[in-house]
Amino acid sequence: MNKSFIKHATAALALTLITLGTSGCSDPDPVEHNPAQYDLILTEDANADIGHYKLPQDTSILKEPNAEQIFYGKRLLNETKRLLPDHVGAEMNCNSCHISQGKVPLGDPYINSYNTYPRVMPRSGTEVDLEARINGCFQRSMNGTPLDRESPEMLAMIAYMKWLGQNTPKTQKVAINNAGKVDTSLVADTARGEKIYYAQCAACHGDNGEGLKDSRGDIVFPPLWGDKSFNIGAGMARTYKAAAFIKYNMPMGIQTKGLWGHGNVLSDQDAVDVAEFFAHKPRPDFLGKVHDWPSGKKPKDARY
Amino acid sequence: MRIKKWLPTIIIAGVAGLVLAFALGQLLPTLRTTESGIVVDINDPKLINRGKYIARTADCVACHTTLNGEAYAGGLPMLTPLGAIYSTNITPDKRTGIGDYTFDDFNNAIKHGVRKDNNALYPAMPYPSYQIMPDKDVAAMYAYFMTEVKAVYQPNKDSELPPIFNWRWPLAYWQAIFAPKREFIAEASTVALTRGQYLVEGPGHCGSCHTERGIGFQELALSNAESNAFLGGAVIDGWRAKSLRGEYEGLSTWSTEELIDFFKTGRTDTTSAFGAMAEVVEHSTQYMTEEDLYAMSVYLKALSPTDGKPVYTPKKTDTTTQKLLDGVYDSRGAILYAEYCQICHRADGQGVPRIFPALAGNSAVFSKEADSVLQITLSGGRMPKTPHDRMAFTMPEFSHLSDADIAEVVNYIRNSWTNQASKIDVNDVVRMRHFLRKKPKTGTDIAPNLSINAASKGASHE
Ligand code: HEC
Ligand code: HEC
Ligand code: HEC
Ligand code: HEC
Repeated sequence: MNKSFIKHATAALALTLITLGTSGCSDPDPVEHNPAQYDLILTEDANADIGHYKLPQDTSILKEPNAEQIFYGKRLLNETKRLLPDHVGAEMNCNSCHISQGKVPLGDPYINSYNTYPRVMPRSGTEVDLEARINGCFQRSMNGTPLDRESPEMLAMIAYMKWLGQNTPKTQKVAINNAGKVDTSLVADTARGEKIYYAQCAACHGDNGEGLKDSRGDIVFPPLWGDKSFNIGAGMARTYKAAAFIKYNMPMGIQTKGLWGHGNVLSDQDAVDVAEFFAHKPRPDFLGKVHDWPSGKKPKDARY
Repeated sequence: MRIKKWLPTIIIAGVAGLVLAFALGQLLPTLRTTESGIVVDINDPKLINRGKYIARTADCVACHTTLNGEAYAGGLPMLTPLGAIYSTNITPDKRTGIGDYTFDDFNNAIKHGVRKDNNALYPAMPYPSYQIMPDKDVAAMYAYFMTEVKAVYQPNKDSELPPIFNWRWPLAYWQAIFAPKREFIAEASTVALTRGQYLVEGPGHCGSCHTERGIGFQELALSNAESNAFLGGAVIDGWRAKSLRGEYEGLSTWSTEELIDFFKTGRTDTTSAFGAMAEVVEHSTQYMTEEDLYAMSVYLKALSPTDGKPVYTPKKTDTTTQKLLDGVYDSRGAILYAEYCQICHRADGQGVPRIFPALAGNSAVFSKEADSVLQITLSGGRMPKTPHDRMAFTMPEFSHLSDADIAEVVNYIRNSWTNQASKIDVNDVVRMRHFLRKKPKTGTDIAPNLSINAASKGASHE
């Protein structure tokens, strides 16, 4: 008996036993999409149990009669600077702040936006509709100029937000929060914030807060301060608003949970410290600031 | 009846045969073990240091430590189709570890797969590779383990293998057939190539993941000289430990410098180590000297392509990038990619250097089997942490997608831009998801501690 015969005999025996051992467990059925699901509530009565909202996947846009418009809106929100350079001053896109295409609670989602507006905004003290709200973000967060209210671009963005709302009736609301909470009584330590910035943020947002562009000049990581950042009129320029954003959404790409593997790793103190550090760096002025908070009640972390 | 008459004889013969096989099985290990006659000065600091380095190159810690467990205390499950087996406690604890091992006991376990009690070790321990290590190197490791490794009381766990497979004596036959004694034979004449060959074939035990296994779980080749099945690529723990040979699906697209960068930092400008390889870099190669990294890299680059495999594929022009930029979503895969992946891996599939790996032109993506791509898409993963980059980034899991959509997006990235690869179907996803349910989490599967105090401590958390 030669060695190769033994090899084959042993192998055959092993194979038989393994097949016996593993057979019998046939493949289970394929798994279906398991979307994030949130409760629906009545705008009047938050306790009424009226069903659920399921976060839609973009593939379902294809079923809509205006699919092309919705996809265009989605692209405009994702790549605002590249597609609308004339309206965007900063090196930013709408979805630089509206995390994962506006689909993430606590990440400034658009999930309820279509139904929320028009409403009275505390900052302007007047009633604002969705077009005006979007243009507000163009002028402050994007340090740019407003879109024509009837333009195909404006209509497309709104079409995306409407689709994302999944025809939730006006009287109902998806029970999520747009922004998370941080302890606003915490006192910021800028020096500590700087340390956190260089350890956990600068790899992406740059040592000078300048962000990063790709080889075509398109935004990869938005700047956090300087000429190309959002202006002092943006919500993100306020320490505690920024801290609440950071706590739940930044850094991204650091864990296996969440669409962007983002957030929930910094403590309130960490978030407040790092927010104070970058929010108070130099950034563009906002000329419209004189009209804000006409009735007083200016928040303590406003930049002006 | 004939059979009836013969039955007692058959049974007796069978039992006698089994007894004989058992007896011989007890004997076989003693034929493997050696007496070195070496006296190890375990208190020699230089020896200890050398041993520590060699233990790094042999990556003992990766298999002998559980997530959040004490270093070298064992207990890490290794999944086999028949049940889990657990790595053992190799701390110098006298009751549960290897505290009463002599140097020869230690040497025989590492190089020959024979325990102090003369029982054979499962080949999950890569002794077929370690076998070529010189006794003096193992002696240095012995000094390190006996003095610097903290003794931990932690009893070993029994294997979950069913009877027969959990008997140890048949393993002695396995060893005799599949892991015969072998010596290191240098293939090339340069110092670097020889050192590289030794590290890859021996302590680095790269073949234990990267070489296809035969029907008896043996590696098809333990060295390049044996056959070019060596490092030809294999599936391990649901990852494709891809070919490291010279073909297109192997390392033909890599330069020596890129390999060095990869082993040292766990990433290059276009790729990052993930899955099982992230562990190898995190625990082993990042600690290797420049010379050793260079040696390993030039050796790998010198390996010929696997038989009949092309070194380059016909060029394919990239039409994907422009379509994604223009919002021309011509497949379900494209819509899924744009929604879930594009933010990090980008429209041009180039990722972001040292932050998000490229998918276009990344040999880990278009490797022969899709297992790695499938697993990382379903369960995510973290790059190794090294002191060379400020942060180690993580890919999120996409287990909430349907199996059909996972197949769509995996096929999409494997065949977009200039990539060309085989397709998978929904059943491959079903099987992988099923497999992942049982798989234990490893260090690179979980979120890091990003608190400011943790950040200042750096990479070495062992
Ligand atoms: C610098 C960050 C930033 C950028 C860039 C930005 N936004 Fe906003 N946006 C915010 C914040 C913060 C809010 C307030 C969220 C809240 O309700 O707490 C907001 C609110 C909104 C709302 C109202 C949400 C709601 O349901 O109340 C809409 C709509 C909106 N933004 C659209 C846009 C559009 C369109 C763009 C691009 C032109 C854009 N945003 C750019 C930060 C930003
Ligand atoms: C892995 C890279 C990465 C890291 C690390 C990271 N960010 Fe971001 N950050 C992003 C990306 C990407 C966006 C915007 C997404 C987009 O462009 O669609 C963003 C957006 C932001 C925004 C809103 C947009 C803006 O420019 O104001 C803030 C604020 C921010 N990050 C702060 C931080 C802070 C603070 C840290 C550290 C605690 C941090 N980020 C770490 C990638 C990163
Ligand atoms: C525990 C199993 C395991 C061991 C041991 C191992 N590898 Fe790997 N290796 C993998 C897996 C899985 C991949 C695929 C994932 C990736 O590309 O990061 C891989 C990928 C690689 C790659 C990148 C290839 C590419 O195209 O992306 C290189 C190079 C490599 N291994 C070299 C080595 C060397 C050299 C050794 C020995 C020192 C080794 N590996 C040991 C599992 C292993
Ligand atoms: C939040 C950013 C992010 C998103 C979103 C993301 N990835 Fe990744 N991806 C990463 C990071 C970081 C790695 C490196 C992980 C590692 O090395 O363990 C990676 C690695 C990979 C790899 C292995 C390549 C390599 O060389 O490491 C593949 C394949 C991959 N991703 C596919 C996908 C697919 C498919 C999607 C969408 C379904 C996706 N990724 C979404 C960040 C991301």
